[in-house]
Amino acid sequence: MAEYAGKPIGVESIAAYEREFGEKATEWAAILSENAEALKSGRYSLHWLDPKDSGWGRRARPSSRGLTYADVNQLPQSGELPKTATWLNFAPRGSIREPYRERMPVVESYTVLDRDELWADNVITLYEEAKARQWNATRDIPWSELERLPDDLEKATCQLCTFLTEVEFVAGDFPAKWLYRIPQDFLEVKSFLSTQIMDEARHQEVFRKRAFAGGGLLHSAPGFEWALKAILDAPTHTMGTFLLNLLGEGLVLSIFRSGEMIAKTHVDKEIFRRCLQDEARHVSYGVLELKNSLDHAPDHEAAIEELHRFADVGELVILSAFSEPALVEPLAVLLGGGLAKIDQGMEGMAKLWEMFIAEYLQRCDRAGFARDERCKIPKQAIWAK
Amino acid sequence: MSRGDRVPFPSLAWFAKLGERMNADRVRHEHLGYVDCTVEFAVRDAYGPGRPLRAQVTFEEFAAVDVREAGPADAGRADFTLEADAKAWREMIESIARGKGRPALDQTLNYLSHFDSPFRVCAADPLKRDLYFRYNQSLQEFVNASAQLETTFDRRG
Repeated sequence: MAEYAGKPIGVESIAAYEREFGEKATEWAAILSENAEALKSGRYSLHWLDPKDSGWGRRARPSSRGLTYADVNQLPQSGELPKTATWLNFAPRGSIREPYRERMPVVESYTVLDRDELWADNVITLYEEAKARQWNATRDIPWSELERLPDDLEKATCQLCTFLTEVEFVAGDFPAKWLYRIPQDFLEVKSFLSTQIMDEARHQEVFRKRAFAGGGLLHSAPGFEWALKAILDAPTHTMGTFLLNLLGEGLVLSIFRSGEMIAKTHVDKEIFRRCLQDEARHVSYGVLELKNSLDHAPDHEAAIEELHRFADVGELVILSAFSEPALVEPLAVLLGGGLAKIDQGMEGMAKLWEMFIAEYLQRCDRAGFARDERCKIPKQAIWAK
Repeated sequence: MSRGDRVPFPSLAWFAKLGERMNADRVRHEHLGYVDCTVEFAVRDAYGPGRPLRAQVTFEEFAAVDVREAGPADAGRADFTLEADAKAWREMIESIARGKGRPALDQTLNYLSHFDSPFRVCAADPLKRDLYFRYNQSLQEFVNASAQLETTFDRRG
């Protein structure tokens, strides 16, 4: 028998579905009956021809790059972004929906109702940019040029790709977890998060392919897993976005930049360069989403303190991934230029660490979250002398 | 690929030529996607000690729409600055030319700027600095187009 969430999908769950739509929520049946009767009798409603007071009639005009959300949002009839969402169904913002409210269902999954748990001032720009800068891991990487590397460098590359394959899709799963909780009125945010999911699917794909093109995947690691779980289990969207987009993806962005720098083939350079562009978009959303949330918090001091408490834990769990030998050592081997030069690579890694943390703290500052004095991640690498 | 244009480096004309090449290769840049930022490419000591060339290139959508030498009125106009001395620029440009538009592994923009030396990315705002990463492939291909020029190094380059 098939299972869902550990429970058998069988007679009971189907019976529950039947009760829900057959006995409890029966409004749809009344609507079907009325509609069918009207259609049978040949009566037309044509109510949809009446724009009422919607403002229908003003036409959206494309800007130089096409018709963007920003262009459409200039029209008054496109509907205002609500501070708190009250439409908990799929009726589009800007449609004539009020007359039908009472007969529409409530989607109970929509629980993130506060704009300031989601919004970022750059989200529309980032959505347009994300669409325009999509790439294809099958076609846009010159796979046929991939050169065979010495064994130590190939294994280091494959291990780095294993790490990236393991961690990348949390940045897809996390927005996916929240996406269906976000009402349709926040369509711009939902659209951007959808691109992030696509980006992460592509990253997972490209690193998996790179590993197999070099011999295969190598070791997963428990430290990675705990960091990913800490992201996925974040109590709020803003906290999780801080941990994922600002800290986690900020660090992965640094790894991509390092990956491009230490890449031993043009193929690997291209992979890392493409990925770092996507990652930087996600980081930008994370910074301004956090800023918006803190700027509009009803009790700013309390919001900051809560975030500090969350970061006190989150930073250390993330550190568990970034201290794993399955990550640090292959990076050092690639940076040093071979297994025999791993010590030199570790010295270089210590410099990179300082840069990673400095950039993280700058981004926190930019978001209005002064984290410098409470940061739990050491500002110098654990192994630095 | 024709290398008909002889252009001195460092010079504003060199960056203007790259802008022209970018605009002539719109299909490629449409494939790479929007690039929306103003970059200040700085060549330290271009005009002598302490006298840099500051070429500001404004990118919009898929094109370089403005190339100018930054004067006092342009301070703060760029989203970020990418700066290096003339020798580092020259090594990169020559590598791109040798690779017919593809620099050696240790001559890509990201490689050269990752440790802040020999190239350095500067921005007061970390979000603006991140534009360098968001558009990195486009910026790389912008400078890669120098392979289509015949760059001459008749000053401090």
